[in-house]
Amino acid sequence: MEVGLTERLDSFVRKHNDRQLVTLPLAVFVISLIILAMTFASSGSPVKLGMDFEGGTMISMATQESVSAIEQKYADYPITDVRQAGSRIIMQFGPMNNELQQELVSDAIDTYDNVEINQIGPVYGASLQKQAVQAVIVSFIGMAIVVFLIFKTFVPSVAVVLSALSDIAIAAAFMNIAGIELSLATVAALLMLIGYSVDSDILLTTRVLKRRGTPQENISNAMHTGITMTTTTLAALVAMYFVSTFSYVLSPSFSQISLLSNISIVLIFGLVADMMNTWLLNTSILRWHATNVGTRRRKA
Amino acid sequence: MRDDEKEQSLFKDARVIIFIIAILASVIFIQPWYSSDEGFSTNLNYGLDLEGGSWLQLKLQGAVVQLDADSGLLVKEIVNINLAEDVTITSVNEGEDDLTITFTSGSVLTNNQMDQIGVGQTTISRSNNLTQVELHTSKETLISAYIADSLKTEVIPTLISDGVEYEIRTAITQEELESLMEKVGGSIVTDINGDPIYKEGVSTETRDLTKEILSDKLNSLGLKDIPVKTVGDDYILIDFAGIDLATAKNIAEKPGKFEIRIITQGNQSKHVLYGDEIESVSIVGYHEDEGQWYVPFTLTEAGAQALQEIAIETGATLDPMSHNLVMYLDENEVYSAPLSYSAASKLEQAPIYSWQASTGADEDSKTRAEELQIHLRAGALPVNVELMGSGHVDAALGQQFKIQAVIAGMIALLAVAFVVFRKYNKPAILIPMVSTSISEAIMILGFAAAIGWQLDLASIAGIIAAIGTGIDHLVIITDEVLYEGKLPPKKVYLSRITKAFGIIFAAATTTVIAMSPLVVMGFGTLKGFAITTIVGVLIGILIARPVYGKVIHEVLAAEAEAQ
Repeated sequence: MEVGLTERLDSFVRKHNDRQLVTLPLAVFVISLIILAMTFASSGSPVKLGMDFEGGTMISMATQESVSAIEQKYADYPITDVRQAGSRIIMQFGPMNNELQQELVSDAIDTYDNVEINQIGPVYGASLQKQAVQAVIVSFIGMAIVVFLIFKTFVPSVAVVLSALSDIAIAAAFMNIAGIELSLATVAALLMLIGYSVDSDILLTTRVLKRRGTPQENISNAMHTGITMTTTTLAALVAMYFVSTFSYVLSPSFSQISLLSNISIVLIFGLVADMMNTWLLNTSILRWHATNVGTRRRKA
Repeated sequence: MRDDEKEQSLFKDARVIIFIIAILASVIFIQPWYSSDEGFSTNLNYGLDLEGGSWLQLKLQGAVVQLDADSGLLVKEIVNINLAEDVTITSVNEGEDDLTITFTSGSVLTNNQMDQIGVGQTTISRSNNLTQVELHTSKETLISAYIADSLKTEVIPTLISDGVEYEIRTAITQEELESLMEKVGGSIVTDINGDPIYKEGVSTETRDLTKEILSDKLNSLGLKDIPVKTVGDDYILIDFAGIDLATAKNIAEKPGKFEIRIITQGNQSKHVLYGDEIESVSIVGYHEDEGQWYVPFTLTEAGAQALQEIAIETGATLDPMSHNLVMYLDENEVYSAPLSYSAASKLEQAPIYSWQASTGADEDSKTRAEELQIHLRAGALPVNVELMGSGHVDAALGQQFKIQAVIAGMIALLAVAFVVFRKYNKPAILIPMVSTSISEAIMILGFAAAIGWQLDLASIAGIIAAIGTGIDHLVIITDEVLYEGKLPPKKVYLSRITKAFGIIFAAATTTVIAMSPLVVMGFGTLKGFAITTIVGVLIGILIARPVYGKVIHEVLAAEAEAQ
């Protein structure tokens, strides 16, 4: 299947000119930015912030009770959301004072089995948020500097950085659409994406700039390797996603591991976006650059 | 003949030797073991989310500042706060080491009242219905007392190179402090750039003291293996393995039971006061002239009176040597010493508010004084803390997570193997590739076991991520080396493998750079993820992948020869 994909993509790239190739990824990039801007306008943050950054309490436990029964039972607390996943119920609460918190925690631990609790104070959440934003910015700038140092030419470096930026924007916009909140886990996934997504771009750029042969040949070669790379990684992530998210369907004794589930789903979408950005956006800019600059150099 | 040469060259290669040593060392560190009664066990440490337990993250509230104010106004305010008396300042004399302030009041002021304020030596005279008080003190004492009395907290002044730094042990914003200082004609001192010297948080010493008090308290409850970690300057993280969150909070918030008793006869003793009568505890000091280490502490009005009463009643004021003052923390004796003769005779007349518990002259005495300082606080923390975050995972759930994480890792590896096999269709490539991946995972775990790193869910996600980039890099190496599906001539092979490593080093650098901000500024979940990813990438490019490059060449050469 992945062979079929590579060949179809390869012939698509061969048949279309640079301007045509760039249209689709740029359109998706712009749509993503619009989605992020709309979320920003309505909530003050480009991605909906989760409990890790807003503060609050999450309690998940094994129970046969229904969602509405639980909602009723904890109505005295600032309960914001109740969800069911297999034989488990996941409750979310807004910030509350220390005494109420202690009462809630004792109640949950005494009543239920297999309890998991996570609580973040609003002040701590705000400081985590600041740190997370800084981490993403520093990480992106660091990556961009490394890319410029590796290639030392402007256009190819910009192409790599642009497609990495687009990967992150698309992954973040996807989170908004799919209703995944920004948590520590998803920030980690976005940072990982910064590192991951440039792998195939670096491969492509190195092959085109440093190998003999026409740009188109080198692009096809790089594509065969690059698609294999991304599909193997995707295979690992899809496996991780299913085991951490849906294994309770197979055996009720298993539970969702939201940390692994969130990291893998964000990375999966980031990498799908990365396939498009590497082989359409980055490829077209690079092909244009190699053909024009290459010809000029040969003439001179 | 040729085969022999090859074998030799492969096992003599430095990279291969390092690889084999690294794998063996990892296995030794991990110590996988199976016994019929204990089942499968290893030397790996697991985080709370896999082991079960709870954690608390506390923020220490306080501020470290430099302050200045008018000495006369300070005294006026301090007397006003403590005695609700409005006094008139008549003179302020600022000497080299001595600050003398004289003030008068229409009401009667006693030595006892002045001692209770405790800002220095006073001489009181009364004539014409006017009380005149001469106070010998220092500006640091006055500023500390003013802030401490206004905020009902402790203030610790410390001499530093360019003045005096005050540590205020409660939450106070810069604005609140400014307005407090304005009342006494003062302000926050500014630095050469004109910025106020105000820092939110506490000093490193206070943070460490808080940490020690918590550790001490946990130890006294028999919880020896509870690590109390400091994170950054003003965060403390406590991991309670195997203890539920409700219990953990109780332990951290509830102070211990501190009691002072006086020996009546033999081992009989009489109760004097409990820990709540101790108003404040200062830092350990050393008396030059007496050659004694000591801990200063002050008693409340009720506490000081109780001590005077019981001391007289038991006869400790007349015969201190046979009536020791004994301190207990949670029923254990932590200090026992007689009253000093000067204190004993003074107690006959009036209660004493400021006390010093001396421990002796040598280094051990210093340690004892430091321990006593902790005990006097009875497990109450020196600064106010705010709960910033907490978590809890049941042990059974942690066990389940562990099993699921292992299954996720295994299935991920199988999925990768399947994709690789579909692409190359050759076991000769599949086997080295998958083995390299597994060896990388073993080495990451070996490293974790060697440094005692706690594997939590985030670290496991990091390992899976590192393995993911690892496979990418192996694909790059394989595709570079394969020339139209075959092994290229030696010269081409060498230049190609160099290029392949150029690409993977570049790719690895971006990953390491992208993750490193988390190592520096993140803590908790994200830090574990970042560190395992970085360690995994480094182990991969430095140890495992060079060997893969070597092995894949040998395998393809052998295959070509066979054909």
